[in-house]
Amino acid sequence: MDEISSGLSEVECDILVIGGGTAGPMAAYKARKKNPDAKVILLEKANVKRSGAISMGMDGLNNAVIPGYSTPEQYTKEITIANDGICDQDAVYRYAKECYSIIEELDKFGIRFQKDENGEFDVKKVHHIGTYVLPMPNGDTVKKALYRQLRRARVMISNRFMATRLLTGKNGRIAGAISVNTRTSEFLVIKAKAVIMCTGAAGRLGLPTSGYMFGTYENPTNSGEGYTMAYHAGAKLANLECFQINPLIKDYNGPACAYVAGPLGGYTANANNERFIECDYWSGQMMQEFHNELLSGKGPVFLKLNHLHQDTADHIEEILHTVERPSRGRFHEGRNTKYSETMIEMHISEIGFCSGHSASGVFVDDNARTTIDGLYAAGDMASVPHNYMLGAFTNGAIAGEHAIDYVKDMEFDEIDQGEVAKEQERILAPTKREDGIPPNQIEFKIRRLVNDYLQPPKVDKKYELCQSRLAEVREDMEQNMMVRDAHELMRATEASSILDCADMAAHASLYRKESRWGLYHNRVDYPERDDENWKCHVLLSKQDGVMTCEKRDVKPYIIPINEDEKDAYNNQRVQAQA
Amino acid sequence: MPIANSPTTVPVVVDEKKCIADKGCTVCVDVCPLDVLRISEMTGKAYMKYDECWYCMPCEADCPTDAVTVNIPYLLR
Amino acid sequence: MEHFEAYTDLDDIGEKLNDSDPAVRRIAVMELADEASPDAIPFIGKALEDESTDVRLQAAIALGEFDGVEAAKALAVGLQDKDTKVVQAAADSLAELKDPAAATPILPLTSHEDPNVRAGALRGLKELRNPESLAYGIKALSDPIAGVRVQAIGVVGYLKPEEALPALINCGRDENPSVRRAAVGALAFSQSPHAATALINALSDEDWSVREVAAEVVGKSDFEAAIDPLIPLLEDENWQVRIKVIRSLGKLKAVKAIEAIAPALDHKISNLRKEAAAAFGEIAHPDARPYLEKLVDDADPDVRKNVRWALAKM
Repeated sequence: MDEISSGLSEVECDILVIGGGTAGPMAAYKARKKNPDAKVILLEKANVKRSGAISMGMDGLNNAVIPGYSTPEQYTKEITIANDGICDQDAVYRYAKECYSIIEELDKFGIRFQKDENGEFDVKKVHHIGTYVLPMPNGDTVKKALYRQLRRARVMISNRFMATRLLTGKNGRIAGAISVNTRTSEFLVIKAKAVIMCTGAAGRLGLPTSGYMFGTYENPTNSGEGYTMAYHAGAKLANLECFQINPLIKDYNGPACAYVAGPLGGYTANANNERFIECDYWSGQMMQEFHNELLSGKGPVFLKLNHLHQDTADHIEEILHTVERPSRGRFHEGRNTKYSETMIEMHISEIGFCSGHSASGVFVDDNARTTIDGLYAAGDMASVPHNYMLGAFTNGAIAGEHAIDYVKDMEFDEIDQGEVAKEQERILAPTKREDGIPPNQIEFKIRRLVNDYLQPPKVDKKYELCQSRLAEVREDMEQNMMVRDAHELMRATEASSILDCADMAAHASLYRKESRWGLYHNRVDYPERDDENWKCHVLLSKQDGVMTCEKRDVKPYIIPINEDEKDAYNNQRVQAQA
Repeated sequence: MPIANSPTTVPVVVDEKKCIADKGCTVCVDVCPLDVLRISEMTGKAYMKYDECWYCMPCEADCPTDAVTVNIPYLLR
Repeated sequence: MEHFEAYTDLDDIGEKLNDSDPAVRRIAVMELADEASPDAIPFIGKALEDESTDVRLQAAIALGEFDGVEAAKALAVGLQDKDTKVVQAAADSLAELKDPAAATPILPLTSHEDPNVRAGALRGLKELRNPESLAYGIKALSDPIAGVRVQAIGVVGYLKPEEALPALINCGRDENPSVRRAAVGALAFSQSPHAATALINALSDEDWSVREVAAEVVGKSDFEAAIDPLIPLLEDENWQVRIKVIRSLGKLKAVKAIEAIAPALDHKISNLRKEAAAAFGEIAHPDARPYLEKLVDDADPDVRKNVRWALAKM
């Protein structure tokens, strides 16, 4: 295994789904359900059994719109405000209306949500306005349940193939994708009438403070290929300057899971044991407050549970150490920290792109369509803001059901074999060198530069320096990167995707000349929010081979927000003290 | 420039007495999202080949014989 | 090379169940589970009779991937295995079932001689919500083993039958606190005065976690009669109980509790101050205003937020 071999095969299908994490399986499943005769391929660079952001599990839903607890209108307003007004509401509203039926369907799949003694969903109130949290005490079964459904629906599952470029046809429609096997370096070209991209976040962009390259907040396998492939195919990407930065347990770099601890009385505190976060909803505003506290004399910041009854603290510990990131228990054991006794030190994560937590994604409409005909995107890589896991499921379903109708009377768009040959050459170049720089060093350098220069607060001069340093690394990568086996070739291909994402992060950030979204886009040279000029999307795309940004109006709100309602939300927040 | 091999202590440990990879089991290798485990051609047992671990634990949780242990990588311990 | 995951012929995998090596048989069971086709169930059922405990254990785990009567029949065998690990795995898999029809083969096991089997069977029946389970559930409410009674409460509580109220209320007086806690939680569905009385009695339970649940449920169920007995509980020794009491008094709009809630606004644990402010907002009575005004500049932002919100409600 892992030896580099040559080979090129070609297959055809109606719908190609790229990425077997959360949104992808749901898209493939829904497409096959709606048309059992359709040929649907699910491509995954690892193995769908345990791939993607929810690999091990997920300990709860934090944006569940459940009748009796919150309404789609209320949720849409809240997300619009949490995202500082930059929000095409139709996609958010559609998610909010449809997510409850997805919860019911997941429940039937055997994915267990917390219920009370009468079997009703045990929804928890965490936010001041609206109630959206539904714990999943058996959330470690999510991937298993999904896999089961895929097998039953007889989806064609292709593991260990990593898509590297999308193919567009002569008519400008999507025509398929090129992929390379991560264990043999053989190529597989998949011709498709529609493609649904579900490749997750760009989570390997910044470097964790521990220095361990794979100790990222997101699953490090999510290295941003979806963003890169969409870019090179000519699709538009939205608001990439709205970075993802998350609160986490320091060094371990896993989520602190305020949504688990919150309903039971736990909270985020400073060194004086006091709450300090004013902002009610997880957003850049909240991260700005977190950042300020870390830098102030009152830091560092902690997860505080040691005021709770021992039984309650132990109960929280048990959930946090078994479901989503179970190795957390081992981490605390190694440091001798018990939740009932000591506060747990927290920190903020490295930067990334992830609409699931913020808003940076491939630009999509309320049917998950990108700006390329026949190309869809869902989950953490699509631009629907604050989507989390349930958004991936729901929008994956929306994409699958829309795409299956789209392909009904569609012919294949013709692909250019020259493009295939060119891509093969690009990917295999590092295998042809006897000597050179290994991909881990290229990657480390890119990510170290991202930390040094792109981590907010954003400074123009630092961003410009970063761009020229990244250009130097690009030259090294293109001229001198070398790999010894197929596994390293996967890492080399990921490095090139990480570099593209770093370039996009810098470019989009410099274009938006204002500050917005709290820490996510805190620009020191333009400290004020400027609604007059910048209450719009920034769309980044490749125009004639050049990275280009443009403004795009936010669609008129379908759920208007009255002035007094704005106050109700704004009362829950404070201005950033940058 | 020639390439050196830098030593690193790997987080995933396999108990070879319990591992049944030599009987055809590939569970841990299959479920790793980073694809860092392999089955040794010499021993027929699973081992960690690439130090690129997210300490996410499916390899340990899904192993039918409890042969796999995931430790926290030293740098973040 | 192969580009796609195979959908293998089940007979080919099933053949491996005859291998002399238990490890090979075990791997075959895992492969059968991955196939996800219900046709694999008979093969896995065969593995449940294997001489190797490991193979039987794997088979019990594998059945969690399936649903329906056939899977339930096989699990009923696994649940009666001689090895406790297999019994536990079968119980876990049973709890994954969804199809109400799967209840039928499980029902008789609710009176099995082994309490682990009885508890496992009841735990599986809960989520199936099959009305036929009710009689079995009610009977098991008086099981000699507490862990079995807790699972029985789940079966009954999920079906929400008024006729089971007396038996549930009885469990609210059980000697075991876990049973009492579950029973009190299960009473939430009923609006009857009997349920109200039982919940009010539970407010003075000796176990704090029972008091906590009772305090929460009376608010959810909107039992105004609970206001008077809730007020003394504002001095409960455990502040986590007091939080639920304050929350429910808010939900019940208990104007007469304002004076008694007010001291919580001075408590050093900010969770209490936060909850008291929220409750005053729910009660929305001018008498609470002076108390709230004192906290406008509280050190805790969540407290301040709730105070602002509550004052706006006045």
